[in-house]
Amino acid sequence: MSERSVASQEVVPQAPSPYSDPRLAVDLGRGLRLQNPVMPASGCFGPEMGALVDLNQLGALVTKTIFYHPRAGNPSPRLAETPAGMLNSVGIPSRGIDYFLAHILPAYTRYRVPTIVSIGGLSIQEYWDLAARLDGVPGVAALEVNISCPNLEAGGLEIGANPRHVAAVVEGVVQRFDGPVIAKLTPNVTRIADIARAAEEAGATAISAVNTLVAMAIDVRSRRPRTGTPTAGISGPAIKPIALRMVWEVARTVRVPVIGMGGISNAEDALEFILAGATAIAIGTANFPRPTAMHETIRGLRDFLDAEGIGHIRELVGALRYEPFGAVGTLDAAREPDGDGQPRTPPRAPR
Amino acid sequence: MSVFPPGVALQVLPPQAGERPPPCVAAAPITAQYALAPDHYLLRLRDARIARGAPGQFVMIKPTRAGELHPQLPRPMAVYRYLPASDEFEIVYRVMGVGTRVMSERVAGEIAEVVGPVGQPFRLREDLRGLLVIGRGIGTCSLTAAAERAAARGTQVYAVVSARRPEFLIGLDLFGPLGAEVCAVHDADGSSAPAHVAEFVAPLVQAGRVQQILVCGSHRLIDLAVRLAAPHDVEVQVSLEAHMACGLGYCHGCSHGAVGESEEAPLVCRDGPVFRCRRAARGHDGQGELP
Repeated sequence: MSERSVASQEVVPQAPSPYSDPRLAVDLGRGLRLQNPVMPASGCFGPEMGALVDLNQLGALVTKTIFYHPRAGNPSPRLAETPAGMLNSVGIPSRGIDYFLAHILPAYTRYRVPTIVSIGGLSIQEYWDLAARLDGVPGVAALEVNISCPNLEAGGLEIGANPRHVAAVVEGVVQRFDGPVIAKLTPNVTRIADIARAAEEAGATAISAVNTLVAMAIDVRSRRPRTGTPTAGISGPAIKPIALRMVWEVARTVRVPVIGMGGISNAEDALEFILAGATAIAIGTANFPRPTAMHETIRGLRDFLDAEGIGHIRELVGALRYEPFGAVGTLDAAREPDGDGQPRTPPRAPR
Repeated sequence: MSVFPPGVALQVLPPQAGERPPPCVAAAPITAQYALAPDHYLLRLRDARIARGAPGQFVMIKPTRAGELHPQLPRPMAVYRYLPASDEFEIVYRVMGVGTRVMSERVAGEIAEVVGPVGQPFRLREDLRGLLVIGRGIGTCSLTAAAERAAARGTQVYAVVSARRPEFLIGLDLFGPLGAEVCAVHDADGSSAPAHVAEFVAPLVQAGRVQQILVCGSHRLIDLAVRLAAPHDVEVQVSLEAHMACGLGYCHGCSHGAVGESEEAPLVCRDGPVFRCRRAARGHDGQGELP
């Protein structure tokens, strides 16, 4: 480099980093503040990615779901690809809480950004035990409660499918862990808003939505499922429209911040979730083909604010414009009594 | 990964300090791509860091162009040859499905998104006088870089190259200049039967002309190598294949399941793809074992 270019570098003010641009900073409640709204989705990330990209530039780090006791996970094959999607039947292998605290957590907490620890359980008590062990552990910024696990005490149904079970899990975790508690919802339910409300009322300080959808792929020649278990969770762009709809339903139901996820691959996808009501977003499957996807998304969000002349990303959160039932306004406004106590529009279920 | 041959136990190789560079994410220009045989292609890419990887390591290649969504996952591909002098490396692959089909349609000048080099390399002994590589089909690609590296150090290389049909024999043009003694066999004339391959392998092992055997691409040939090597203190290393998503060890998609209720089997991407193979204790279920 010539002397002249060195000199010119000194006088040109350095462009602010897009990753710590104050216009991207978000607050997920209970002191969980992120420099930007982009984080990895649990299970689709590990500190191994630190060899490829600068993890200090993300909004937060999220661990793979841990269990109290070691688990082996499911038989192979654990992955199958479908159009614009991926099925996984990994089954969340875990080395257990003792190994996690001694060997895995330090690989996360060496980074400056908050570490969110994802916890799972095969019983309500297992979540509570994990919360108690993680309370006060330095570097654990928040817990994300993965309620998509089978409840072995209730016939193996997902804990997250039953609002009463969700409330019990979250309430117990909140009692034992003095910090932000995020409930991560399963999409495998009829009315996700009911589950979100149950989690919020139980004390969740934020909601993550959504986990993978239960899906299936079959090899017609062998007549066998293409994954080691007959059904598996699908993720990737194929599920994005469904995840987006669910995030919208959740965000208009709860007051706590929502972290949107499900097939997000780039800044435009992220903006869709933010407009639907997400305060932050997570990227999962897109990290596999492009480990730079999260960083590209952060830069893309900054560029969008620049291009649209928007002062802060929070101005876009839930800023969806739509006209329910042919009338201008929001759905909530449409349901408000209009003087005579009658709704302005007939109360019909949105389609 | 399919069920491992009964009677063979997998062992994770101890970590090796070292020579190999850390993985990187690269936008690697495609410098050449051409067909070697029907559905078989050679892809040459340029990246200075990956070009300095170790034999047995692999790369994760996103088969599609930027922005294309299907197929999503990157493909794990063995490095066929390292060409550090030109900052290039080569992949040889067979079209198996939509991902490799899309990859075969890409041309020189395009950019491929690659993560690598990843995985455990082959461990070649310092005092290695003779090396036998046994490759079947596209699996031979995992062995060529190791054969080149060994030959460059003065090791005599022997190679069994097996395929369904003679036109699918991989690496014959490469083994020749290395001064390797090659046994090329295929299914079309029945020469690939393990009993026939054993006629080439057994004397090498018995006479002490090889101290290590590297195998890839056939469970039958892994089984053969382990059986013949066991009485003669010859070490067998294998390179395994698996479906993968991350290639770095965090997604756990490439483990072939459990070795116990609470213990996961090794990950092919992080603990492998190179493993040591030994004869299993009697009654072993062949599902692999941890060290």
